[in-house]
Amino acid sequence: MSERCVLGADIGVTFTDIVLTRGDGQLHVVKQLTTPGAPEESVLGGIRRLLETTGVDPASIERVVHGTPLATNAVIEHKGARVAFVTTKGFGDLLRISREARVEDDRYDLFFEPSPPVLERDAVFEIVERCDARGEVLVGFDATQARAEAARIARYAPEAVAVCFLHSYARPDHEEAMEAILHAAMPDVRVILSSRVHAEMREFDRASTTLHTAQVAPLMARYLARLREGLGRLGIQGPLHIMESSGGVMSAAVAAERAVATLESGGAAGVMAAARFANHYGEKRVISFDMGGTTAKAGVVHDGRPRVVRELHVGGRGSYGGRRAGTGMPIKTPTIDLAEVGAGGGSIAWLDPEGVLQVGPRSSGADPGPACYARGGEAPTVTDANLVLGYLTPERFAGGTMALDPARAHAAIAKSIAEPLGTSVVRAAWSIHEMANANMASAVHVVTVQQGIDPRDHVLICFGGAGPMHAAGLASRFGLSHIVAPPEAGVASAIGMQATDLTAEHGHTHWIQAADLTVAELSRQFARALEVAREKMGLDDDEASLAGALEVERLVDARFVGQSHELSIPYAPAPGQEAAELAALPARFRARYRELYGIESTGAVEYAAFRVRLRIPVARPPLRRSAREGTDAPAAEWRDVWFGADKASRTRILTRGDLAQTGTLSGPLLVESDVDTVVVPPGWSATVDEVGSVHLRRE
Amino acid sequence: MNEREIDAASRLEAEVLRHALRIAAEEASIVVVKSAHSAMIVEGADACAGILDATGRLVSLSTATNLMHASSLRCSLPAVLADHPLETMRDGDVFVMNDCFRGGIHANDLLVFRPVFIAGRVRFFTGTLIHVSDLGGSSAGGIVPGATDVFAEGLQLPPVKLYAEGREVADLHNLIALNSRTPDRVMGDLKALVAGAHVAARRLEALAGEYGPAALDRGVANYIAGTERRMRDELGALTPGVYRGEYAIDDDGLDLDRSPVVRVEVTVGGPGAPVRLDFSATDDQARGAINAGFSQALTGATYAVRCYVDPSIPMNEGCYAPIEVVFRKGSLLDPKWPAACGGRVVSVTAVCEAVVDALSQARPDRATAASAVIHPFTLAAATGGNPWLLLSYEYGGLGARASSDGPSATGSFFLGGRNVVPQVEPLEARLPLVFESQSMIPDSGGPGRYRGGLGVETRIRVLKDCEVAIRSERVRFAPRGRDGGRPGRSGEQFAVLPDGGTRPLLPKAANQLMYAGETFVLRTSGGGGLGRPEERDAAQIEADLVEGWVSPEAARRDYGFTGVKASPSAKPSGAAAGREVGR
Repeated sequence: MSERCVLGADIGVTFTDIVLTRGDGQLHVVKQLTTPGAPEESVLGGIRRLLETTGVDPASIERVVHGTPLATNAVIEHKGARVAFVTTKGFGDLLRISREARVEDDRYDLFFEPSPPVLERDAVFEIVERCDARGEVLVGFDATQARAEAARIARYAPEAVAVCFLHSYARPDHEEAMEAILHAAMPDVRVILSSRVHAEMREFDRASTTLHTAQVAPLMARYLARLREGLGRLGIQGPLHIMESSGGVMSAAVAAERAVATLESGGAAGVMAAARFANHYGEKRVISFDMGGTTAKAGVVHDGRPRVVRELHVGGRGSYGGRRAGTGMPIKTPTIDLAEVGAGGGSIAWLDPEGVLQVGPRSSGADPGPACYARGGEAPTVTDANLVLGYLTPERFAGGTMALDPARAHAAIAKSIAEPLGTSVVRAAWSIHEMANANMASAVHVVTVQQGIDPRDHVLICFGGAGPMHAAGLASRFGLSHIVAPPEAGVASAIGMQATDLTAEHGHTHWIQAADLTVAELSRQFARALEVAREKMGLDDDEASLAGALEVERLVDARFVGQSHELSIPYAPAPGQEAAELAALPARFRARYRELYGIESTGAVEYAAFRVRLRIPVARPPLRRSAREGTDAPAAEWRDVWFGADKASRTRILTRGDLAQTGTLSGPLLVESDVDTVVVPPGWSATVDEVGSVHLRRE
Repeated sequence: MNEREIDAASRLEAEVLRHALRIAAEEASIVVVKSAHSAMIVEGADACAGILDATGRLVSLSTATNLMHASSLRCSLPAVLADHPLETMRDGDVFVMNDCFRGGIHANDLLVFRPVFIAGRVRFFTGTLIHVSDLGGSSAGGIVPGATDVFAEGLQLPPVKLYAEGREVADLHNLIALNSRTPDRVMGDLKALVAGAHVAARRLEALAGEYGPAALDRGVANYIAGTERRMRDELGALTPGVYRGEYAIDDDGLDLDRSPVVRVEVTVGGPGAPVRLDFSATDDQARGAINAGFSQALTGATYAVRCYVDPSIPMNEGCYAPIEVVFRKGSLLDPKWPAACGGRVVSVTAVCEAVVDALSQARPDRATAASAVIHPFTLAAATGGNPWLLLSYEYGGLGARASSDGPSATGSFFLGGRNVVPQVEPLEARLPLVFESQSMIPDSGGPGRYRGGLGVETRIRVLKDCEVAIRSERVRFAPRGRDGGRPGRSGEQFAVLPDGGTRPLLPKAANQLMYAGETFVLRTSGGGGLGRPEERDAAQIEADLVEGWVSPEAARRDYGFTGVKASPSAKPSGAAAGREVGR
């Protein structure tokens, strides 16, 4: 094989982005309209176009990494597969009795509407069996009754069956017996066991995770089969990897059983783009900031790895992108810790009944879009404000594919904000811009300060069409002094995906007092978790040859006796040091607890779960300047731009290519490309590096 | 800049500060919930945090937590200030109190306050509160329906210093520990409360640094004033008039032949406040523990009124100013010391029902039938070698609304969602209990054109001898229907013996013995229906049959519906549906 190429394919609402990285790091980008009914067609169509235009040999593609919203859409639109839910006798209503939090406005609304039940009654089947928390059998598994129920389930004709028995994390064999009976009754129907999907305590969370897995697995399996077949037809032999919410990828072979792991993969891919550039620059502490049309997302990347939490909610309500704890349905799966706020280019500015300016969370979307799109949108948006402030060149927006109308932006802000308040349009526009920054700052706050992380020594890596326009304003709020605006910000997710490792994680509940835990017991628990984690990794031979050595990370969930929120503490002994490492765990937990909550505590520590994270590093393609760089229209010109409400500054406008020629320049500057504009306010300098990233540094 | 320009500028910038003030409270409540030790909060989320100014006005309140507590922080801070004048406070001081006659809730709800010093002066307070597992009293976990005075309900704390200039006041900590059956947990909870108050204080200090003390004060004042304007505007849109509402409580658990009634006269558009609520005609205080301290009664009254304004109005002092509330000293809603107040939720939900009863006349399009209330209970063996305690509760169905069915199994009014009810597995892992089932109760929702929400049945087998304490309500008088709708089914509670027989349990009583092998059964009530059942849409009846929310017998009996036999996997067809005529 002469060349080793990597493909990244990211399906978005409007466009499917395909990015090909050549062996030498050269990037090629194609945007293909997404075909909602058959998303694989947009992926395959885009890849075909890319192969044709570049002449790259399909056989040289050693890996395809794919991010798909299939699971997310199925869950949010309630279009999952037909699923039978099987549970312990007495708990058939487990998922039908709400556990929904009521937050924000819903708290004062006598007419609030709860989310509809996730299951119809006919889909629920109860089995006579019962274990306790220690895994002891209280009621034996009634195989006769189970077989009779299996016959009823077969008549229900499900596409998949979700099985969740009480305390199955402590004793999975009743679920396994049920699986055998179901297989006998319905050989072709997929059976999902809660003890395999999520072997942890808390029946509602486990049942919800299992149910959603079952609802999505058949769709994912069918979709990936079509996609793999299509890739084969194109002559692509390399393995297909599916982007996960954790920032890792999984083999397409196991993606059906792990389908819920993709639910937040879109946001994760963006953070992985930040991680890819962080690694390229050797930056250890990075804040990732992605601002699109409707929302902005912030995440943290330390030592090249994003911070991962273990729960997400689907169909949630409230601010932070519906991530309010307790709203929606819980899904227990490793997920990059992202904070999301309703502040994007399309976010609408409005005056509340008190006459106070608000920005978002309502958005004008892509259609009609901001007022300046001249497609019928009349509400002023963040993009309109940015146009009024002079940050956007009307005739070169989106690479000149769509001219903006400054008069409409001006009129919209005047009518809705400036005139009612009796102030100037520029002052109103500046406030809209600043308010968007403040909203986004709260997202950064959630992922840093609230986690005991001091943001000030971090580098801000920004993406999204609007990200580089707001990055300096955002950075100033936290005292950050270095911003990176990588090239091709519009396809950041597809770029991020290409630098991902194969990962799998499994943990199980096992309660034990710290004082009672021996090295032998600890090893036994980790061995048990490792076995399942390996199954979840599910590598075939191709991947095994592609991959590097397996890395194993071990974690213990610790808490003070009596608490029920845990912190994961790493256990990583040097050979022969196991006893010392075990003895050090409680102190390590207390230190982390103090860091997070500011509480000094000497209470007794107990352990609740043992987890193993597996990682197989995959070679990263190098980064090089994008092929598109330099095709941007030259724009060596000057205009008045507002970096505050009081006076405009004469500002130079140039392309990334121009800036590469001139070397470092001091702001004010606007650095344009086809996909974004980097705003460099006075007090910042800008320079372009060898891969085409613009670096802003506080002077 | 002229005045209009200054006003414009402040409106352009105000939301940034307001957002920060809300986030500070929110963050404090998150810290409390995540670091607390008591099962009630760690499995649920029974915490609240707020920011107040130096005069005790509420500035912001956490948005995801129990609104039962909304008024308590602002009502009790004056007591702290009375006992500890501002000029005596030092940076790093932290105060704790729970006295329900001075703004507190009941013994188990601890309120913590921390003064925030800016430029050498106390400008703000941060406050946190949670329900701790046990603080003494005559029943483990603090459910003492039979208490006839506050002394039986647990340790009472006037505003006292928990930390002095950052140093733990060991004497007080020792005193509290000795008065709890679960001292480790309560001490852990206190640390969580203090940590939450510290977090919010640090945010305020940062904001003062960013804005300057004067601008911060101005921003806060504008925030409260703007909220008040919005409240006045919205309340001004209610149809003027005098509306009366009432709601009867089952009993106080002691005097079973007396059913105290909460009565309210709501005057909209009178000469004083836009809305005046006069509860003077409410019955006298009860001997048993269903009385409500004034802060709790006020929570119920203001909450109910807030349900008739834009729900996005923020919660701060501005919400209180336009609502005048009158209680009669010695009544259920402002009892004389030392009345027992631990069961105040019974009266406070009746306050809400009475106000909704009245305002449903002012706004028929917003009419609502009556709802179930919270059913708190404890199962505990407090003495002997291995003490244990389950403090939990269950929710029932909400009343039907003028345009929709009542939601099932969730908290009525300020009680929030059912996410606060603990999951079964962690409870079984810690306690000698086996949950036999948890299920919706078919037919428990009150029939009506719009159906009431369903109640829930929970069955818990106890593996060791123990005591059960219960504080149920709406078990004698089911949640009433409205406008021709029928009442929901009332709740009940009993023990099932190993031989299958049953033994009644009292709805409001502590220290009721349960023996190993017996099963505690708790049924919560269903919400009332609204509108005549005969007018219910056939498609909705069919849907209820398919889901099992209504049985075929009840569909025939209550709705005169005969069209469909609901059987598993047999979808009803609209054509077959019919209704008996002549009912």
